[in-house]
Amino acid sequence: MSDQDLVVETVRDILGGFEPFALTAERRWDAGLWGALAEAGLTGVGLPEEAGGSGGELADAVAIVRTLAAGAGAVPVAEQLLVAGPALLTADLDLPSPEHPTTFALGDAVTVHPVDNGDGPGRFTLTGTVPDVAWAGVAQHVVVLAPAPAGIEGAVLALVDASSLPATDASNLAGEPRGTLVLDRVGTSGALLTAAQASELRARYALARSVQLAAALEQVLAWTVQYAGERHQFGRPLGKFQAIQMELAEMAGEVTAVTALTDAAVQALDRGENVVLAAAAAKVRAGAAVEVVARLAHQVHGAIGFTQEHKLHHLTRRLWSWRDEAGSDLAWSRVLGAGVLAGGPDALWPALTRVV
Amino acid sequence: MSSNSLTLAPAPRSEAAEQLRAEVREFLAAELAAGSFTTHVDTWLSGVDPAFSKKLGERGWLGMTWPKQYGGHERSAMERYAVTEELLAAGAPVAAHWIADRQSGPNLLTYGTEKQRQEILPRIAAGECFFVIGMSEPDSGSDLASIRTKATRNGDGDWVVNGAKVWTSNAHHSHYGIVLVRTSPSDSANRHAGMSQLLIDLSLPGITINPIRILDGGHHFNEVVFEDVVVPGDMLLGEEGNGWHQVTAELAFERSGPERFLSTYPLVAEFGRRVAETGDPAALATLGRLSARILALRQMSLRIAAALDRGELPNIPAALVKDVGTTFEADVIEEVRRVVDVTPSLDSPDPLGRALAEAQLHAPGYTLRGGTNEILRGIVARGLGLR
Repeated sequence: MSDQDLVVETVRDILGGFEPFALTAERRWDAGLWGALAEAGLTGVGLPEEAGGSGGELADAVAIVRTLAAGAGAVPVAEQLLVAGPALLTADLDLPSPEHPTTFALGDAVTVHPVDNGDGPGRFTLTGTVPDVAWAGVAQHVVVLAPAPAGIEGAVLALVDASSLPATDASNLAGEPRGTLVLDRVGTSGALLTAAQASELRARYALARSVQLAAALEQVLAWTVQYAGERHQFGRPLGKFQAIQMELAEMAGEVTAVTALTDAAVQALDRGENVVLAAAAAKVRAGAAVEVVARLAHQVHGAIGFTQEHKLHHLTRRLWSWRDEAGSDLAWSRVLGAGVLAGGPDALWPALTRVV
Repeated sequence: MSSNSLTLAPAPRSEAAEQLRAEVREFLAAELAAGSFTTHVDTWLSGVDPAFSKKLGERGWLGMTWPKQYGGHERSAMERYAVTEELLAAGAPVAAHWIADRQSGPNLLTYGTEKQRQEILPRIAAGECFFVIGMSEPDSGSDLASIRTKATRNGDGDWVVNGAKVWTSNAHHSHYGIVLVRTSPSDSANRHAGMSQLLIDLSLPGITINPIRILDGGHHFNEVVFEDVVVPGDMLLGEEGNGWHQVTAELAFERSGPERFLSTYPLVAEFGRRVAETGDPAALATLGRLSARILALRQMSLRIAAALDRGELPNIPAALVKDVGTTFEADVIEEVRRVVDVTPSLDSPDPLGRALAEAQLHAPGYTLRGGTNEILRGIVARGLGLR
């Protein structure tokens, strides 16, 4: 058993006590699940102990995120472990306590001003709206990536205390909070990042969603195979019909493609490589698989899968959301297309073999 | 984290393979510059050039994974993967040796006699000896167990072969065929019994090779007819009656390589040139989507190469990669058409129009050859526990 297997088992044990539920405006996240994970130290995994985290490797953090995604855990763990935490470390900023949910958001429309109040650099005010904030209203802190103040190259990473800030009630297709944060001269600690660091962070965010997508896609396949084995029509299990077998095999092909590419992108991140194009590719590939896998999963499940009586919607609604989050499918497709042509019109193949 | 038996471990990085990749790339650039070949789509079927195959043999890029005592180079499957991938991406003429290097050689290594190995393998590795696959017949396609080509022993202990094989790519340029024959009458209780593989010299009396033209008029396919062909008794490959098992093992090699997603890569390359020229955002996004699919397929195929290096024969994952990969090969055509104003023609002055025409006219083959995608999905369904 690898270290990750142990982590996975621990998370599964905890998840076993928390059934997924349909998220609503009244119940926007699984606070109980978060509490149990935090108590077990799992909300700080992959973040160094000296920074207040629980230690462990990137692979451990990824294993936790995958397991929670497959179990439709309504908690901001992917954001905290794979994006916000590492972002703060990159910027040399203090990590909030891992028990308090911290999320990440792209504040492309935020105006940043440096403040010199005598404490030295590292203080900024932020003004503007930040849309599509994952777990807005739930997360106590939001790590915002915003353009650097006028005249300065690069970007600013700011740690915003969101506990007293208003957020709209918007949610994604799965009911996960995706509200807009309104910032009006909000004072924060922050740090300057280079443009390269900023694009790496965007890639990390996309890769975090890809990891969740890969895990959810695998789980949807597993549920669908299981259902096809249990559901009988015309006197035999659905899975014995060739038409159904073809559909399940097609799903398996998509899932395997996503897993192979996402794993490779995560390994490249672990090796410290630039993963902008790898993350773009993983995200785009996963997005394409969502179309096929969610469609066929619902087709095989029939009418019951189209209701909230069955668990399938917990993952298919997330799949339909996640594929356009952390940068839309179209945006990342363009990033990848432009990226593989960056070496010139005759260097496409060498570029492709360098991505992962 | 595997949700089914289709999952293979990630491939380790191979620095040796990447170094080799650079050497192959340099060689191909020089060959292209010297005009020794021009890039085409699907060249592992249609690009027959024995002189080019010989050059690859001289550089040690054929029979790469085989023991040195048989002319091989004892390289890893990961290294072979890098070489084959570069050749395919360049649209180089690799058809002459492709089958021999990919599956006939490995088949001989496993099942051939010492004499067969010593005589034939070094010639394959030198790029001088070419093979055909003798599986399909006029009445036996996906249902391979229904073959009727028959071999019976004569009084001298030799085999007398009667029947016909079809879709035998490049039989008219090849030296040998590994031919699946019935050596016992078919048994409806055990359809896979009674078959054997024979190693047949295609110059033997009684063999007729008739061309079968494919959609673009090209002559790659043949019908190979056997009329009382006397095959020496020692040309039985492996065990009598073990043919089905041997064919199945061969298919892991036949189905797993990068030629199962790169047949139309030269079209993608031309499309990339066009996108670089126009900068059209929709086309840029399409290039991104196609790239993401290629990158995923590379990782899937690399996992198979790594599994081969571990000594596994990953038949089910190979079937899955081939299904996903060949579907991609054909999809490229429609993806390109949706975002570029181009008319496909083999006579087009526009290289993109020519590549599109080549890809289109070869398209029906991608998802048929080496096992139809329906057959492959049946194998995957078995891997999912449904059969």
